[in-house]
Amino acid sequence: MFRATDRCSRPIPANAGIGLRFQHHQAVLDTRPDVAWMEVHTENYMGGGSPIRCLETIRRDIPISLHGVGLSLGSAEGLDQAHLDRIWQVAERIEPDLMSEHIAWSVSGGTYLADLLPLPMTEEALAVVCRHVDQVQNTLGRRILVENPSTYTLFRHSTIPEWEFMAAVAAGTGCGILCDVNNIYVSAKNHGWDPSAYLAALPSDAIGEIHLAGHSVRQFADGGTLRIDDHSSRVIGEVWSLYEEALRRFGPVPTLIEWDQNVPPLDVLVEEAHHADALIDVASDGVRRADAA
Amino acid sequence: MGFGVPTLLDIQTAMRRGLLDDGHARVAAILDDALAPADRLSIYRNTSRTALINALRLNFPAVQRLVGEDFFAAAADTFITREPPQTAWLDLYGESFPDFLQSFEPAAALIYLPDVARLERAVCRALHAVDAEPLDYSQILEIESSAQQRVRFTPHPSVSLVFSLYPVDAIWRAVLARDDAALAAIDLSAGAVGLLVERRAGEIEVTRIDQRQWIFAEALFSGRSLSAALAVADDPDAAAWLAAHLAAGHLSNFALSNSESLVVAEHTQ
Repeated sequence: MFRATDRCSRPIPANAGIGLRFQHHQAVLDTRPDVAWMEVHTENYMGGGSPIRCLETIRRDIPISLHGVGLSLGSAEGLDQAHLDRIWQVAERIEPDLMSEHIAWSVSGGTYLADLLPLPMTEEALAVVCRHVDQVQNTLGRRILVENPSTYTLFRHSTIPEWEFMAAVAAGTGCGILCDVNNIYVSAKNHGWDPSAYLAALPSDAIGEIHLAGHSVRQFADGGTLRIDDHSSRVIGEVWSLYEEALRRFGPVPTLIEWDQNVPPLDVLVEEAHHADALIDVASDGVRRADAA
Repeated sequence: MGFGVPTLLDIQTAMRRGLLDDGHARVAAILDDALAPADRLSIYRNTSRTALINALRLNFPAVQRLVGEDFFAAAADTFITREPPQTAWLDLYGESFPDFLQSFEPAAALIYLPDVARLERAVCRALHAVDAEPLDYSQILEIESSAQQRVRFTPHPSVSLVFSLYPVDAIWRAVLARDDAALAAIDLSAGAVGLLVERRAGEIEVTRIDQRQWIFAEALFSGRSLSAALAVADDPDAAAWLAAHLAAGHLSNFALSNSESLVVAEHTQ
């Protein structure tokens, strides 16, 4: 259980932020877009040179979240200590307001497979993930958030529903949950789950951030379809509705618009963020009315 | 994989093989069967391959323009299967891609291609090298003059050397600038080039240095003692070259080699 002083001491505001990509660095420095915070992939700022120096500059004005994509919390063979050290070095320079990783695995047999691969939902996998989250939080001296995956397959021998797995990781390690609403929608559609029941099963007090993104639908030769979480388009209506449901349940939460492929002009990202902000405002009014009653 | 419930290690090993070798038989046994396991695995395989091919494209942009997107993707795909990355820091993926291209038969006609890749590799290292302060001159002057010959320098992390029988710097510049006229004007028989690649104030610089200087720099940057590097160079200008490297910030640290055996060990590198 993580009990050390959390070095992410200034919480990210409970408003909408956007994913920051290299092609927007200059526009962000020049125009200071009207969003509450930004999130970057930690792996894009390792080493030295221009990228991290640019992020240091942006970070003076805008709260930054470091979102890792390569640590492989679910690896049976342990974490790559050198990679964890590089993440620590980025965190030392950027002093992020939030850090997160995924409930997934990407490394096996010393090979990085460059995707967030699905874990069987078993007691063994849960123990592995909890051990690694402990290791990460102790190394970084920070509480992290872990993100629920989008998945395209399940394992026959899984014994724990994914929402219970998420809650158990948070309860077992003291970490928070990054609730990716699009991932819940994608996985629910792919596996026939009830997305509302998934949301309802997550512990409200552990939710530290929400992700929103676009996804696509792929048709297969045998007539089957899968929703693919490709972060390459606008958030769809059904996901916005599920997001409103999440806000009603969790209250206002820092919310990120993720868009990593076919990245649009900065204005489009800001527009999506403003839509999320409007929904957060509605949720805040609801909370205030409930408090006043 | 035996009978009963597979362990996490079993699953991850089977999926890794499925993703790298395009086999799915072992994985099929552990997945549920709402959709063909091959289709499900193909989604992960596509994402993984696309990410890794893109990483190589970003690290070798001139190579890609020289061979075309489709050829590059096919070569990268073969390379990825043979030598997948060992870490999630993909900015540095492709250390051995130049050597792979050297032995990649379909690219054999482009004799300068592996060396363009070696230059891009040096550029990539320079771009992403950790930040480091240049060596403070005065520290060297404080060393007793009798010990100065035993100094072994560490080059700045962004600095490296490339040598080619072809004018790969001119090719690299023309290709990235999409300057077809410049590319057409390049004389492949113009002679060998020695290049120093570095990051200065965030920008990449590729500088030609003459072969005598290159040989000295190679000895100096590979950690040989100063006396050994000067002996390799055997040139009256070598002391001035050293001063120029120090002034340009090409060296970031030094140590004293304490015994002959250490010096001998260096020579066997």
